[in-house]
Amino acid sequence: MTLFESVFAGNDAVYGLTEGAINQAIEKYGADKAVSFPDTAYSLPCYYAVTGTKVGTLAELKDALAVVKTLMTREKRTNDVFMSGVATALCAEFIEVLKYIDGAVPYEAPCYGHLADAVIRELGVPLVTGDIPGVAVILGKAPSAQEAADLVKSYQSQGILITLVGDVIDQLEEVGYKTGANVRVIPLGKDVTAVIHVVSVALRAALIFGNVKPGDAATLMDYTMKRVPAFVNAFAPLNDVIVACGAGAIALGFPVITNQEDVARVPKSLICQKDISKWNATSLEARDIKIKITNIDIPVAFASAFEGEIIRRKDMQVEFDGSRVDCAELVHTCEPSEVEDHKITVVGPEVDDMELGSKNSIAYVVKVAGKNMQPDFEPVIERKFHNYINCIEGVYHTGQRDMQRIRISKDAFAAGFKIKHIGEVLYTQVKNEFDAVVDKCEVTIYTDPAECTRIRHEVAIPIFEKRDDRLNTLTDESVDVYYSCILCQAFSPSHVCVVTPERLGLCGAVSWLDAKATNELDPNGPCQVITKERPIDENLGSYEDVDEAVKKFSQGALEHVTLYSIMQDPMTSCGCFECICGIEPFSNGVVIANREYAGMTPLGMTFSEMASMTGGGVQTPGFMGHGKHFISSKKFMKAEGGIERIVWMPKELKEFVAERLNNTAKELYGIDNFTDMIGDETIATDPETLVGFLTEKGHPALALDPMM
Amino acid sequence: MSEFKLTTVEEFEEATARLLETGAKVGADAWQFRVKNQTPHCKFGEQGVCCRICSMGPCRITPKAPRGVCGCDAHGIVGRNFLKFTAGGAATHSDHGREICHTLYCAKDGGNYQVKDPEKLIRIAKEWGVETEGKDIYDLAHEMAETGLMEYGKPFGYQRFLDRMPAGQKEKLIENEIAPRAIDREVSTSLHMAHMGCSSLPEALVKQSIRCGLADGWGGSMMGTEFSDVLFGTPKPIDTEANLGVMVEENVNIVVHGHDPSLSEMICEYADSKEMIDYAKSVGAKGITVSGVCCTSNEVAMRRGVPMAGNFLQQENVVLTGACEAIVVDVQCIFPALGPLSKCFHTKFITTSPIAQMPDAEFIRFNAETAGENAKAIVKMAIDNFKNRKPELVHIPQLKQKATVGYSVEAIVKVLDSVTNSQVDETGTTKPLLECITSGVIRGAVAMVGCNNPRIRPDYAHIELMKKCIANDIVIIASGCSAQAAAKAGLMDKSAKDLCGAGLKRVCELADIPPVLHMGSCVDISRMMILAAELAKDSGLQINQLPVVGCAPEWMSEKAVSIGNYVVGTGIDTFLGVDPYVSGSSEMCELLTEGTRKWTGAAYTVEKDIDKLVDLMIERIEEKRTALGI
Repeated sequence: MTLFESVFAGNDAVYGLTEGAINQAIEKYGADKAVSFPDTAYSLPCYYAVTGTKVGTLAELKDALAVVKTLMTREKRTNDVFMSGVATALCAEFIEVLKYIDGAVPYEAPCYGHLADAVIRELGVPLVTGDIPGVAVILGKAPSAQEAADLVKSYQSQGILITLVGDVIDQLEEVGYKTGANVRVIPLGKDVTAVIHVVSVALRAALIFGNVKPGDAATLMDYTMKRVPAFVNAFAPLNDVIVACGAGAIALGFPVITNQEDVARVPKSLICQKDISKWNATSLEARDIKIKITNIDIPVAFASAFEGEIIRRKDMQVEFDGSRVDCAELVHTCEPSEVEDHKITVVGPEVDDMELGSKNSIAYVVKVAGKNMQPDFEPVIERKFHNYINCIEGVYHTGQRDMQRIRISKDAFAAGFKIKHIGEVLYTQVKNEFDAVVDKCEVTIYTDPAECTRIRHEVAIPIFEKRDDRLNTLTDESVDVYYSCILCQAFSPSHVCVVTPERLGLCGAVSWLDAKATNELDPNGPCQVITKERPIDENLGSYEDVDEAVKKFSQGALEHVTLYSIMQDPMTSCGCFECICGIEPFSNGVVIANREYAGMTPLGMTFSEMASMTGGGVQTPGFMGHGKHFISSKKFMKAEGGIERIVWMPKELKEFVAERLNNTAKELYGIDNFTDMIGDETIATDPETLVGFLTEKGHPALALDPMM
Repeated sequence: MSEFKLTTVEEFEEATARLLETGAKVGADAWQFRVKNQTPHCKFGEQGVCCRICSMGPCRITPKAPRGVCGCDAHGIVGRNFLKFTAGGAATHSDHGREICHTLYCAKDGGNYQVKDPEKLIRIAKEWGVETEGKDIYDLAHEMAETGLMEYGKPFGYQRFLDRMPAGQKEKLIENEIAPRAIDREVSTSLHMAHMGCSSLPEALVKQSIRCGLADGWGGSMMGTEFSDVLFGTPKPIDTEANLGVMVEENVNIVVHGHDPSLSEMICEYADSKEMIDYAKSVGAKGITVSGVCCTSNEVAMRRGVPMAGNFLQQENVVLTGACEAIVVDVQCIFPALGPLSKCFHTKFITTSPIAQMPDAEFIRFNAETAGENAKAIVKMAIDNFKNRKPELVHIPQLKQKATVGYSVEAIVKVLDSVTNSQVDETGTTKPLLECITSGVIRGAVAMVGCNNPRIRPDYAHIELMKKCIANDIVIIASGCSAQAAAKAGLMDKSAKDLCGAGLKRVCELADIPPVLHMGSCVDISRMMILAAELAKDSGLQINQLPVVGCAPEWMSEKAVSIGNYVVGTGIDTFLGVDPYVSGSSEMCELLTEGTRKWTGAAYTVEKDIDKLVDLMIERIEEKRTALGI
């Protein structure tokens, strides 16, 4: 049987199953029964992306199947094979969605099944920054459980996101391999059709970040091929159904690597590698994925995949907790003569000397020197410590400044991990990532409690206070230039962020200082200087300079952008935004939802649904993506009246921004405890109840002019 | 998304019509008018049944007069004419190869001609069993040139390059008495056989036609190609542009035309020199633009990126722009019409080869020893002529397309290396292409070659055939005027991937190539033979099993028939859009379209309906696939 015949046969088989399943479901539930995946604005995501048609009921699903049938042409051409592969994937999606009828929860731990839109939005930033350099789809059953674990580990240690389908999930459980989204190993499901849940991620990424028009299949496939660095590892034996799914993957640009020997080979697309220990290297080369090599001399792994790893108390050797004892982390600019490069000193006890399960003090001071180093970069570097320490396997870090908390796991300790290794990691990463400004770097780690107290109160806190003063004076008016940020263009080709001191990038990850440092580190890189010499309307925050820059960096896709309005030429979004705000017409206000919030908002839309209206570098007046910290900014929708327009936020977000938002409200309008006037999901998720609440609280938005 | 758009044949024709208006103003003649004057063509000639090889005739075969004075029937007459036609082409290509051998013999360190690709020279020397160790590269070059020249007249043995064929093929050729011996011998033998009173047996005449063709393809042409690479560099992908819009109104325009790169390489060299550019500026031009027509153009395009002004039937158009200071020609396919035409304008028509001398031309005899001086004199003459331009006659049609050219076999293998996976694949082979073909992602390949011919709407057949092939996931390798037709249309722009079927499109994207690959001039069809041989060797198949066909839809010259014979002789089915003057003999038709299969596994298909022609090719490719079970 030729490769093409195999694809056609597999496609026919899956089609038959799908048709049967849909008919059966209609018989059982009736044709009007609703079908959808949870937590997505794009249901059914793959079918919607490919055809532009949404499916909501079994009857519509049946119609959709007829459309799928039209893709299943049988000429001996690659197009027919690609389309049959896509048809197979769509059938898989139909079979999978039937599992979710009546809000069923078809997948149990460790399997995830369908992944929410929010997961995709979270993946956006790490994918563009290369923190997640690729996405592996591992399918089938490895020759042995150990080989499965070794393969997964090899990708994990490179930061690659791994999704698993089929028996390999059981194999990992068998050897006790830790899986979960937090360690970037996501078991999808044990049926081959579960593979659709990762395809769905890729296709939604195209809709969310790429602004691909649903139904524009050619652009969709071009997007996934060029911008989604996924690949498939399929264990032998391959049956026709898997080969047909593989054709779908290849159609989207994802190469398939297998150990099935008699498979027809296609360069860079269908590769036979008998030696599974070489699958990693083979796959990366096939998908042109480059791994940033960081060789750090420590006894455990160091990779971004471990960033989300959580160390529970029972697994913990020791911890350091700034909320209970004196701790601090600090970058300090020195003269070159005062810094001895790569010197790492531990002042006080090592881990060996600490009691199992004990709470200890820690303070690390990273002295840096360099001709281009500026004190403004200190917090930029410092903020990366969280990420650096978290990427150590078996080490966990939260918080910052003098409130950090670190845990070292028993496993890491057993592997020989010491305090000095934290120094090694900080040294290597600072030198790696900030080589343009840091020439020399020395790390001193204090664990002696008295020294920690001294460092915290006599050295660190005065510096933090000085920095805060400086930050408070940093306003949009006090600086001469803004910065563009086009980091996301790898993913969202026409989006441009304009980063100002009072408005950080919408992903929440790039402040004005970050952008400035990025520009310094790489003058031709993603952050470029934007002058602000030719204002058009300072209230709107529109400048000729900004328009010109935006036009240039969006390759002409955008002509005008305002900094302070959500109604007139609002800033675009890539899709990675932490929050999205949208106008709430009944109260003349806006509702803000954060990515983590999965529930309903008074707009009648979830975060996902609101987000689906923006993103991809398009302007949608009335909706705008932004970072969490922007909410308390005096520049937040200043053109429409500012923060007094905020009428609703999820409780968790409200609490997160409360202190700063209340300060701003006090300063701008003399309102005390402004957040008490703002609704949340415990108060209202519909406009009528919300307006009732706002009226009762005397929310200022009600008295403002309508926004539209 | 992309603003890429092919240039249509209609647009070509509009541009030509506008140039003919200029021509009318100055009373210029053009092939369009001469074709009318020659129509209808002689039916006896068309059918190949006119014999004038002795003075008892001329004899013409009709139902009432089925035999000539000597008693030869239509089959013998058609067969002899076909063989003589072939011999003319084989002699021409091979003599070009011989000139290149001579040029190689003249190469010296610091001289006009140097060895630019010593590695390739050493590689061929090793193939031929010539000692390379410890030898000065120029000593080796001279030895190889001499060895190559001996291939023309050696008394014994077969062409050396036949050893490049897959195992068993050369033996099969010998067995069938079609393995070529010395090149000149095959040409002489052909003429001998076609002499009055020699062969009139169609089978014998066809066999010799194939052998003579193979002497060209695996002898003279192959040496022409290989030693040109040694002298001027092996082509690799390079960007250029094609069509008349490459001529620049503000510049001194020199157009090179013909086939032999020895002259044009020198012209390009000098036109690029500061001295000449300054001189051009001193006469009021902004610079110098060298562009090409025909295969000389292909040669300099794929080695230097020199733009292509046009192909065979556009040669008069370059003069009609009124902006051509000099059209410098070497050998082959040059219209004698250029002489009188140039007199209507300020254009200098400069002939350079004793092989191609014409009335109304300035003859600057070019030879390897004085090449530099000759080229300089020519460039200077063109610059001096700039002031004589008649501004009211200047009109350059602003049509041009981007093209990536220069896909020698070596370059193709390098491209294929780029899609291998170092964890599983070896490099330096054609295997990735074979994998694409075996899996069905690419259905096969078509070698598109040949000329323009007013019998076919110029360029239309080339372009339409290519478009349909690539839409069906069939990759095109092209050479000669066919390649230029593709380039003018835009099919050699990488963006043309969007016109392909999904399989070929993906291949183009992954390998970063256009779907139509420029393999060079007509002499470079030998490259296609080498590629076919490599594909066969890497797959363990015979060439005649590969899903690959050749096609010359608009051919016109004797060389094209010689080429057709060696392509069929190599085992590749060849599709023609113009009948090679054989329709007057049923036996010859049968032999050429079927009979040759028993010797080579391949034959001709002649189909004047271009839509049918492409369908037949696709059908043949699919048949070959079915036979292989792929």
